Amino acid sequence: MTLAALGRAVLTFLVLVLLHYTLRPLLGWRAPIDFLLLAVITASVRLRPAGGAILGFIIGLIADALNPASMGAGALGMSVVGYSAAWLKAVFFAESLPLNALFFFVGKWVFDIIYFAAEHRLQGVELVQQLILWSPLSAAATAVAGVLVLLLLRPFFESSTT
Amino acid sequence: MARAGRANFRFDKIVLLVCAIVSLILLVLPMPVREPIAGALRRTLLAPAVVLQEHAELSRRAFLAHDTLMRGRDSVALQVMDAKGLTAENQRLRDLLGLGSRLRWGFVPAEALHGRGVRDESSVTLSAGANAGVQRLSPVIAPEGLVGIVDNVDPTMSHALLWTNPDFRVSAMSEDGTAFGIVQAHVESGPGKYLLEMRGVPFRTSVKPNTMIVSSGLGGTYPRGIPVGCFIGETKTTETWARTYLIRPAVFPADVSSVMILKPERASEGVNNVWATGAAADSGTHKIVVAGDSMARAAGLAEAHARQVAQDSIARLDSVRAGNGFGGAAPGATVPRDTSRHAPRPATPGVPPGTTPNAAPRTAPRTAPAKRDSTGLPTTL
Repeated sequence: MTLAALGRAVLTFLVLVLLHYTLRPLLGWRAPIDFLLLAVITASVRLRPAGGAILGFIIGLIADALNPASMGAGALGMSVVGYSAAWLKAVFFAESLPLNALFFFVGKWVFDIIYFAAEHRLQGVELVQQLILWSPLSAAATAVAGVLVLLLLRPFFESSTT
Repeated sequence: MARAGRANFRFDKIVLLVCAIVSLILLVLPMPVREPIAGALRRTLLAPAVVLQEHAELSRRAFLAHDTLMRGRDSVALQVMDAKGLTAENQRLRDLLGLGSRLRWGFVPAEALHGRGVRDESSVTLSAGANAGVQRLSPVIAPEGLVGIVDNVDPTMSHALLWTNPDFRVSAMSEDGTAFGIVQAHVESGPGKYLLEMRGVPFRTSVKPNTMIVSSGLGGTYPRGIPVGCFIGETKTTETWARTYLIRPAVFPADVSSVMILKPERASEGVNNVWATGAAADSGTHKIVVAGDSMARAAGLAEAHARQVAQDSIARLDSVRAGNGFGGAAPGATVPRDTSRHAPRPATPGVPPGTTPNAAPRTAPRTAPAKRDSTGLPTTL
């Protein structure tokens, strides 16, 4: 990875983190878009699995600081997602948008499963409702947003490859 | 190569395992331990993000509250508009109550029901009829003045002609009683449509602007003193022997909502002092001034009379005294007038009567005449 490509990747990462703390609260959806997860995934696919895991852990830990009661749950989920993103990217090397959308969707859903399972805040019907209804909706919204981000940034990234 | 790949893969798994173990340790840490870690992250790395999130949420709340605020503002604006109408209606009802308290008796309150659909502005239906004591040709009044006259009476309602009706007539006069005439609607389209005109005023009579025109009481239908309108100016007509004046009405048809119908016995009794007007106040002031002048003139005459009587009595007294011993003096001689002032003093030891201690004896008689008061009257006759 060249320095320019690294700069573009860092910039994309920062923009997505910024959107997570600006656009997401502004939209206020019940099934929110997880821009932080998109940031971790888009950065992890350019890293080794260990790097993805560390990046996910750091981002998850920082995000958990807003909710100390579940501190560690986000770090665990993000670590797993970051590691998986880097590993799967190395395995499949997917470039198609639908596959990326599925990638984002599964990543978000897996993250939610790990997060809510580790958090122990929701139990019983509420947990099932969250994981079967709201988490897939949130994952779908995140996948759509991820695809839009890829479409918008494709010229940005293609210029880096030429 | 494959060995390096396996080593890297093992390293990746170890890193993931470490991250997962640290995460689980954080999850099981007690809250007092977790909170300082979270607080430190919030104050350092997460601080800008927290500020951004706070602003974003405030913006969202403002965006969501915008519609609610607009609805609230519109509701308040509507309520303010209603409040203005209610205030005006309240004031009108207060005026009506004031009129009722001044009339005291002999009236029937009624609601005026307009035929708004057909723009009938010359007549009105009243919500009181014969059952309430309303009779035909009863005057209809409002706090501002004359509204019209009842022309048709049903048991529960009645019909009244407003002053805008071409058939409406009322005998009227200027408030000072200098001009009399017949008031009727000013039949004209345009701005002058809602004016009255006073016809048949003698040519020698002129009315000052803004003079209040009231009913004269002639004819017996309307009692004397109900305000009809206010003089605006003279209008030219074909009549050369009389003047015609334009009058701004006291009551406008659109304002007629609650009225009072005077019963015949109240109309025959009169409505004096029910409408207090400026001319009446001026007349009262003029009467007070005239009464004051009369009292001052009477007091002056009384004082002059008393002074004359005093002069006569003094002259009579002096002539009597002159006849009792001083009358032998020749005219022009000086005469001591009041000898009582020189009564003998009580005797002082060592001092002979008639003398003053340490005083030189009088060697010559007093020649100067003694003055009695400051009236300036002559002391010799």
